[in-house]
Amino acid sequence: MKAFVVIFTLSFACVFANLQCEHKKPNIPTDWIDMGNPCVVKVRNHVMEELKASMQYMAMAAHFSRDDVNRPGFAELFFKAAREERDHAIKLIHYLLMRGELTSDVSNMITKNLAPNVTNWASGATALRDALVLESSVTKKIRGLIIVCESDPSFNDYHLVDYLTGDFLTEQYEGQRDLAGKLSNLEKLMDKHGALGEFLFDKKLA
Amino acid sequence: MKAIVIFFALVAVVSCSDECYRDVVATCSNTLSKQQGVLTQCDAKYGAIENLEGDLQRFANSLLYRSFDFLLMATHYGNYIKNRAGFEKLFRGLSDDLWDDGINTIKYMTKRGARMNFNNIASELEQEKPSLELFELQAIGRALDIEKKLAKDAFDLHKAASGHKNDHHDPEVAHHLEEKFMEKHRDAIRTLAGHAKDLSSLLDGPDASLGLYLFDDYLQK
Ligand SMILES: [Fe+2]
Repeated sequence: MKAFVVIFTLSFACVFANLQCEHKKPNIPTDWIDMGNPCVVKVRNHVMEELKASMQYMAMAAHFSRDDVNRPGFAELFFKAAREERDHAIKLIHYLLMRGELTSDVSNMITKNLAPNVTNWASGATALRDALVLESSVTKKIRGLIIVCESDPSFNDYHLVDYLTGDFLTEQYEGQRDLAGKLSNLEKLMDKHGALGEFLFDKKLA
Repeated sequence: MKAIVIFFALVAVVSCSDECYRDVVATCSNTLSKQQGVLTQCDAKYGAIENLEGDLQRFANSLLYRSFDFLLMATHYGNYIKNRAGFEKLFRGLSDDLWDDGINTIKYMTKRGARMNFNNIASELEQEKPSLELFELQAIGRALDIEKKLAKDAFDLHKAASGHKNDHHDPEVAHHLEEKFMEKHRDAIRTLAGHAKDLSSLLDGPDASLGLYLFDDYLQK
């Protein structure tokens, strides 16, 4: 056994003997890295929130793709939403990288427990309703993020707050308005013509 | 009474391959059943999709979670200390591809009447806690291993669907995997293997850090 280990170690050493795979960490000043820790932690956690929303939309898309549900318009709407949520997560990652963050503990930033809680919807309208509720909860979380990042007594992060307010919140409010409008149209359509209303609405979405 | 006899005679004639039609006949003659979804025999399932469903679900989840692994590897190369835009782009591309493959696998399952289950995750995926913050050649090695494992998963599915596992014969699933997944995946593996070869020769010598810089520059193109 011992001999085996020695041989193994030797062969390993031979293969990589001349390869310089690892390089020294450069010495860069860090004064420019000024984000406050509570704020960084919050933003990192919000990456997961966006991915959770993404997988929730993915479950909606999968549901409406089913042969016994057959609402391709809704399915496409939710697949698109799932992609957008992933893009939001990536935007936050890029922001943190720009501010000099994410130089360590990146491996554990996305955990493998993203299975969505709800995977069945009684109708297109209930799914739109859930989507609107989900977006409002994300909006609240972004506001929570802003509060933490601007009220850190040692560092008010104007720049991140501006980015979150101008970019993320704008998209939240526009998205919420869009969902509310769609739900309103669908509910009115379905008031007297339930099955036909949802059928037609779905074809309009596609 | 006579009507019932005739009805059953009709049912007998349409036989076993007409389950949906029989379902329709039964449903339309029963004025009491107005609820939806009574046509239980009119689904999109055929072949062995029901027996392959679980493996397809695990495959789709693996694709999505591996896409997140690659996203984190890209993130690592995007920080100011690593600052390797080429490697960042490489891993981000692998992430995007697996993300698309995951979505396409879910869409495919539903085309065949199967359902997605996001809780059906391969056990090795849940248990492992590997570092994704690696030096360049190590990262290429890890990426190649991930891609080969996914290729193996697809091959295992293909083997079952090709009839090597009882009651799993479904040439349409096998064909889908070949056409929509395996060809692209073959190229990803070949590209990574080529990078491993180039990088290992560039790192073999005193110019390793210059080699890395130029290789990253090449990856950005
Ligand atoms: Fe979002």
